[in-house]
Amino acid sequence: MKKLTTYAFLLMLLAGSASCKKWLSLKPQNGLVRDDYWKTKEQVDAAVTGIYASMLGSNTDLPLAEYLFIWGEGRTDMVAPGVGTSASEYDIVNLNILSTNTYSRWSSLYQTINYCNTVIDLAPGVLKSDNTFTQEHLNQALGEARTVRALMYFYLARVFRDVPLKLAATLSDENIAPMPKSPSDSVLLQVVADLKEAEGNLPTTYGNKNTDKGRVTKYTANTILADVYLWMEKYTECVAECNKVINSGKFGLIGGDFDLFNELYYKGNSNEGIFELQFDAQKLNPFYNMHLLATRRWGAASNLMEDVFGVDHVNATPLVDLRGEGNSLRASDLTIWKYIGANSAASSLRSVGQSYAHWIFYRYADILLMKAEALNQLNDPQTAADLVNQIRTRAHAFDFNGSPDPNSQAAMEKFILQERQREFAFEGKRWFDVLRNAKRNNYQNIQYLMDMAIISIPQDRQQAALNKLKDRNSHYMPINLTEMQTNKLLEQNPFYK
Amino acid sequence: MNNKNILKLLVCGFMVPALAYFVACKKVDYGASTTSDVNITGYLEKYPDSFSLFKQILDRTETSDFLNAYGAYTCFAPTNSGVTKWLAKIGAASVEAADLTRLKNMVKFHLLTDTITTASFKDGKLPVPTMFGQFLVTGVSNESGTSSYTINRQSLVTQSNIKVGNGYIHQLNNVLEPSTFTIAQQLEARPEYSIFVQALKETDFYTLLNTVDPDTTKRWMTVMAESNAALADSGINSYADLKKKYSKTSSPTNTNDSLHMYIAYHILSGVKFLGDIINAPSHSTMEPQEVISVELINQNVVLNQVEFNGVIETGVTINRAISDNAATNGVWHDAKAHFTVKYRKPAALYWDVSTFPEILKLPAYYKKQSYTWTRINEADQPFKEITWGWGSLASTNIFTYSYSTTSSVTRYAVNNDVNQLPLGLPARPPYWEMTTPPIVKGKYKIWMCYSRSKQSSSSNMLCQVSVNGEVMPRTVNFTDLRPKGSDAELEAIGWKQYTEVRAYNTDSNYAGRLVGTYEFPTTQRQTIRITNLSGTQNNDYLDMIHFIPLDDNQVWPKFKIDGTKIYQ
Repeated sequence: MKKLTTYAFLLMLLAGSASCKKWLSLKPQNGLVRDDYWKTKEQVDAAVTGIYASMLGSNTDLPLAEYLFIWGEGRTDMVAPGVGTSASEYDIVNLNILSTNTYSRWSSLYQTINYCNTVIDLAPGVLKSDNTFTQEHLNQALGEARTVRALMYFYLARVFRDVPLKLAATLSDENIAPMPKSPSDSVLLQVVADLKEAEGNLPTTYGNKNTDKGRVTKYTANTILADVYLWMEKYTECVAECNKVINSGKFGLIGGDFDLFNELYYKGNSNEGIFELQFDAQKLNPFYNMHLLATRRWGAASNLMEDVFGVDHVNATPLVDLRGEGNSLRASDLTIWKYIGANSAASSLRSVGQSYAHWIFYRYADILLMKAEALNQLNDPQTAADLVNQIRTRAHAFDFNGSPDPNSQAAMEKFILQERQREFAFEGKRWFDVLRNAKRNNYQNIQYLMDMAIISIPQDRQQAALNKLKDRNSHYMPINLTEMQTNKLLEQNPFYK
Repeated sequence: MNNKNILKLLVCGFMVPALAYFVACKKVDYGASTTSDVNITGYLEKYPDSFSLFKQILDRTETSDFLNAYGAYTCFAPTNSGVTKWLAKIGAASVEAADLTRLKNMVKFHLLTDTITTASFKDGKLPVPTMFGQFLVTGVSNESGTSSYTINRQSLVTQSNIKVGNGYIHQLNNVLEPSTFTIAQQLEARPEYSIFVQALKETDFYTLLNTVDPDTTKRWMTVMAESNAALADSGINSYADLKKKYSKTSSPTNTNDSLHMYIAYHILSGVKFLGDIINAPSHSTMEPQEVISVELINQNVVLNQVEFNGVIETGVTINRAISDNAATNGVWHDAKAHFTVKYRKPAALYWDVSTFPEILKLPAYYKKQSYTWTRINEADQPFKEITWGWGSLASTNIFTYSYSTTSSVTRYAVNNDVNQLPLGLPARPPYWEMTTPPIVKGKYKIWMCYSRSKQSSSSNMLCQVSVNGEVMPRTVNFTDLRPKGSDAELEAIGWKQYTEVRAYNTDSNYAGRLVGTYEFPTTQRQTIRITNLSGTQNNDYLDMIHFIPLDDNQVWPKFKIDGTKIYQ
């Protein structure tokens, strides 16, 4: 009997030790929880990669690139609506944006910001649990997260002006709390601080050309910083950042025998690229149906060839700006060519499955033109003109509506703005370029916005639109109604009341 | 049972119901109504600080109830301060003291029977009239850096697009007042239009502009008034000057008198705010068969700016700041300069159809090589001035700019280029329509100049041509060769050689075919349509269309390949 008891006891011991212990712990069966994550350097790297992946597309919102395209181009003289344009998009074209507009949502950006915040908050803890995780490796991860966060906030500050500045990770529902807006100035200061800190931590290369274009490097931080300084009207600082990129000797303009369209847009990751969203066959960009004639939501404006790129009726062999037909657009059916075109002859389109043209945040031409703009503001229009001419020579640009006086700062400002329009057509920059130049020196040149509206706004809405543009608050998007309802501390932009 | 047990029982007795109480379901408050959204009246009641007076007006006029029922309305709701100002203006001490009819009209003028958000606000009238009958005019104004929507230039929208159960509310800072004067009365009240008004009276148009026709289809008119200053710029300083200049018959009421025509030319039928005016290229006036053409040039509304034979005639600008004045029977605008009906002598138009705006944008193709456009679907319109009926076989909806110096189709064509469009039932496009450059009114012979081609030896392509919807008597067949004969012989049978003279066999493909005579009633851009009657093929090549005044030489000039004219 005693033996039996002993055996029974042993058997139960065995059963107890072998059986599933976790009957009381509740963990998801097909996911990871934070307590089990943030242990190794590989997990940190994966989280950083997640930041980039979140920029390619979101599960809960439209892809980031779609917002960036519409925010950067929708209100400008570059685009025209097509057969598939939605009511929200028409309202953007007509400057009739309401807080219910689909494109006044910012969640896609804040989602990426939260991924960045998570890395910034939790990656340092991994130093304790993984001996092979070095301080240098951590710094690089933090640098990447800070740079992307800065870029997102820079977009938010340009699109919405004042936005909530959330710098701590939202890790669980307990972290969700209403949050007021921060003024755009303090958002930009945070952007500058993040970028400066990241600059020292980021590598100059990851040892692979494609990775260098798709992940942020030190030069990405410099480039964004140059753009931020230009927006903040700090020109000396802008020139200094541009020089860092120029002097690195790592970038150059595509030219000579190379096919500009093929290298820059069709293949992507060119020598000119600084930071690109690398869509691929697994993750397509949102532009195919948006630009395809049959389903088109956005096409090129009809006056681009004659008014922007120039049409040469004089020479027997006409001069052609390489950035027009077969590069930015296909003039015959006004298709935006950069994202869905397949060749510079403008004859064949990409197939649906090939719709992975990169979204180019920055490329070297931007550095040269930003430097030119800053130098011109520092009253050196001649050097600015030399930089612009580098771009123009590369693109075979020709003078069809006169060239500016190289000694006039005002004329050069306008000329650089026009050159940016040609160079970065449909790259999501036009609205920000015009607004930056218009708002300079306390809106000295608000006329730039008006001139654009005269071209882009339908005739019967022009007067209303022009008077709206006189209100500076109208240059920024409303906060979406859902955000207003969920975050009671937010205050709507007064223009949209 | 000892005390302890009793105690235990008691405790249990209390605990169990207590526990049951805590864990029991809470009563969920299910709403009895399907929605908690308020309607227009409900919203106004919710904010008495802003709307108590307007609500009071609605109560007194017995409109509260219907604005609380379901429907689709847009309500422009003036705030209390606005209503107070208005009451003071009409001399009423309170809402109760005000005249009921006046209040009723006021309410009607603030209501639309449709849901209109600010997204529909344009530079002009709203798409639907108020329940009072008059239209509201919207705009945007900017005061010290802040832009707001304006309604009728009387009030600012201080809060917009408030969505309620039965429509939208826009909050106003002032009460809107309908116009109470006619166009004629409004102009007469302004001394700066004295000459124009006197001319209105002398020509009897004053009576017309002073009537509010109960029939709304006839009531509305639009006037382009000229101020004394605008007239003075043209050397007219008094009514006497004006009369001397124009009135050639003794009576200005005579419709043949130029003064009568001058005034009639300034009146359009229908209520046309500037936002409406710029939406059509031309508007007919009270002067029969005379139109005013309109263009928006650099935000300016410009009347009668036209290009004839390469010469641009500068038009007259409308003074936006003091235009769009609504009256009980229409609207009037101010023209910055003097203008009147212009009599032009009919002039020939030799229209090279293959020089159209869309091809001019493609310097790599225009006068260099052929280019083909494909229409993706029926809604797709790649051209501003060319269209065609959708062919059921989608792949035939292709339009080609055809250029070659060697092909037999274009080697002798003007500029070596022609336009090509497949035509013909059952599958190809049924018709081909074009908008011409401006043609001066008058009687013209119309010649279709084409490059003959047959897709196959049996192809046929018989078409009729219609101008502004009127069918021309003769047909044209794109597969017919030009017959042999002298110019005179050919002209007698409705043919001509429009290209440079060559031996017949070399260029018999290039044929001018007279389709008929047409009297253009107005000077403007006209519509010409080629409709297929029988046969079907792709090879329909159109080179030119000649519109030649009846009395002019129909055969000469002819055209060289480079486009220069050869005269006899």
